[in-house]
Amino acid sequence: MRSIYKYFYDIFHGFYSLWTGMMTTGYYLVHPKKILTQEYPDNRGTTLYIAERFHGEVVMPHDENNEHRCTACSLCQMSCPNGSIEVKSEMIETPEGKKKKVLKQWIYHIDLCTFCGSCIDACPSDAIRMSNEFEHASYTKDAFLKVLNKPGSKLKSKEK
Amino acid sequence: MSAQAIAFYILGALAIVCSALTIFSRMIFRSAIYLLFSLISIAGIYFLMEMDFIAALQIMVYVGGIVVLIIFSIFLTHRSGDKLPCALTKRSLIGGIIALSGLALSGWIILRNTFTATNKPAVDLSIRNIGRQMLDYQQHGYVYPFEIISFLILAALIGCIVIAVKDKKE
Amino acid sequence: MISLSDITQWIHKMLFQYLNGTVAYGAELVLAGVAVIALVVAMAIIMVYAERKFAGFFQMRWGPNRVGKWGTLQAIADTVKLMLKECITPNNADKPMFKLAPIIITVVGFLALAPFAFAKGIVLWDMNIGVFYVTAISSLSVIGILMGGWASNNKYSLLGALRSGAQIVSYELSAGLSIAAIIVMSGSMSLNDIILAQTDGWWILRGHIPAIIAFVISIIASTAEANRSPFDLAEGEQELTGGYHTEYSGIQFALFFLAEYTTMFILAMLNITLFLGGWMPFHIPGLTVFNHIMDFIPGIVWFFGKTFFILFLMIWFRWTFPRMRIDKLLKLEWKYLLPISIVNLLFAAFITLMGWHF
Ligand code: SF4
Ligand code: SF4
Repeated sequence: MRSIYKYFYDIFHGFYSLWTGMMTTGYYLVHPKKILTQEYPDNRGTTLYIAERFHGEVVMPHDENNEHRCTACSLCQMSCPNGSIEVKSEMIETPEGKKKKVLKQWIYHIDLCTFCGSCIDACPSDAIRMSNEFEHASYTKDAFLKVLNKPGSKLKSKEK
Repeated sequence: MSAQAIAFYILGALAIVCSALTIFSRMIFRSAIYLLFSLISIAGIYFLMEMDFIAALQIMVYVGGIVVLIIFSIFLTHRSGDKLPCALTKRSLIGGIIALSGLALSGWIILRNTFTATNKPAVDLSIRNIGRQMLDYQQHGYVYPFEIISFLILAALIGCIVIAVKDKKE
Repeated sequence: MISLSDITQWIHKMLFQYLNGTVAYGAELVLAGVAVIALVVAMAIIMVYAERKFAGFFQMRWGPNRVGKWGTLQAIADTVKLMLKECITPNNADKPMFKLAPIIITVVGFLALAPFAFAKGIVLWDMNIGVFYVTAISSLSVIGILMGGWASNNKYSLLGALRSGAQIVSYELSAGLSIAAIIVMSGSMSLNDIILAQTDGWWILRGHIPAIIAFVISIIASTAEANRSPFDLAEGEQELTGGYHTEYSGIQFALFFLAEYTTMFILAMLNITLFLGGWMPFHIPGLTVFNHIMDFIPGIVWFFGKTFFILFLMIWFRWTFPRMRIDKLLKLEWKYLLPISIVNLLFAAFITLMGWHF
């Protein structure tokens, strides 16, 4: 008796759930305003919206005095699973006469990067972050090799 | 020759050639496909004789049912894609003799039989009439074979279930 | 008002006036063939476009919108692309079978169109067993699928063909039984007679409970027979990389594609002929004025309107439901649809015997 009840219950319940699904898609059909598609190359620079947290590429923010915060500790280089970071440093002599390691070149191979964000997590001084830039296509391979620190940039002093 | 005769000869030739290929092909899957064409040409001959119901039945039962079953069993057989070895000479000789004697027997019967033309009205082919005939127990009724076949199918169904059913204990 | 049958009558008269009998007959055959092919190709192109556009809207996308205004030329562009591509035959394939399979499946699709009545008097072959003929012929399409799958010499293709074969063979049963319910009610297998029997109202309304159950089962079974989602495991892109037509390319693939849409079209036509009155306008017995107004809409409009309604339903199913698992699929057929349709057939026969339908 119970199994017979279950048999018919299954049938009607099945129809009910199918109906729910069809109502959902039917609702989208008659509400074209809900469409999420971004017509990409057309809306470039107008309505194109890329989420802030999208992992596009690694960038190194510089402030108005052309200063970054990278201390050349190369923790990011070690944390990168793909070896896409090369931190080149050099020893310079400060005016006080102390020797100090500063960043020479922060080389970023974007063609090796999987945009995992490990480097950002690893950085102790918040020198790098992810930007939501995504148009990386290029005809030459050179474009994939980036130097993130701007020429002539300095380390931001701690006090500020 | 009328167009009907031409169509008949084409279909007949197709049926014979395809049946021969069914037997002589050494790829089992191709045999099944030739069998299919042979059965379809026979259905075409039924259509030509305006026996639409029998033609559709031929297609549905033999082509859509039996040939599909044969193809399924070929699919599920191990190494069925290989070329089969040639039959032994002795076996093919015996088979040929049996087949030829069958041909001789049916040819003898056909030649001996005198086909007389009648001008009786054609049989009523509506499904209503076919259904009536099927369950008729008077003259030209088929209720007896019909019932026997139903029992046969029922027995086959139960047999299938018995074979397929798994013992709970195992 | 000029109806479509007037035009065909006129062509018929013209041909027999200017040509001798046999040639005119042959010319008519060729014309009918061209008409069928044109109809199928046009329908397939419209259906592909509609399918993709609706798919977009159902899923909050735009669908094709680049080629032509609103993407209207997309399907045509795809057809041209498929025709220009090379047909590749795999090295170890069974070559004659491989080439034959798409042809068989297309021919079967065209053959099944013969007994349909598109409008009053527009029938290619008014046979007295039309429904039976259509079910018999469309049971052949499984052969083309099995052949293609086998000949490709590819495991994915073979698995896809097996699945599709099992599916079509088993769903044919419940489709046939639900069709039989309507045959019982109208007492004829001729598609023309079935349509004429619905002058006073469509079977789905007049036949009430058994007709509605039969209609639902028939729609489910048709979706399965056309190998469409949620029953599309024969293709199962994610598991089988495309099923039985994995190895096909170019025009051969296009033929498979065409056959799929032809099957869908034929099943939709069969369903509307049986349940929704074919080209018969919507009539309510007693309301003469209303019936006359309905008669003003030509039959061909009714026919294609209803066909597109069923096709729309199928598209709606496809873009809503997830694919079923093979065991669930067979369970649905053998445990639910088949027993219900057998009981429903008995019920329909009982109702017809007692004269309880309207
Ligand atoms: S995002 Fe990941 S892969 Fe890319 S540079 Fe950073 S650690 Fe390496
Ligand atoms: S980016 Fe951060 S982790 Fe990498 S070297 Fe500079 S300070 Fe160290």
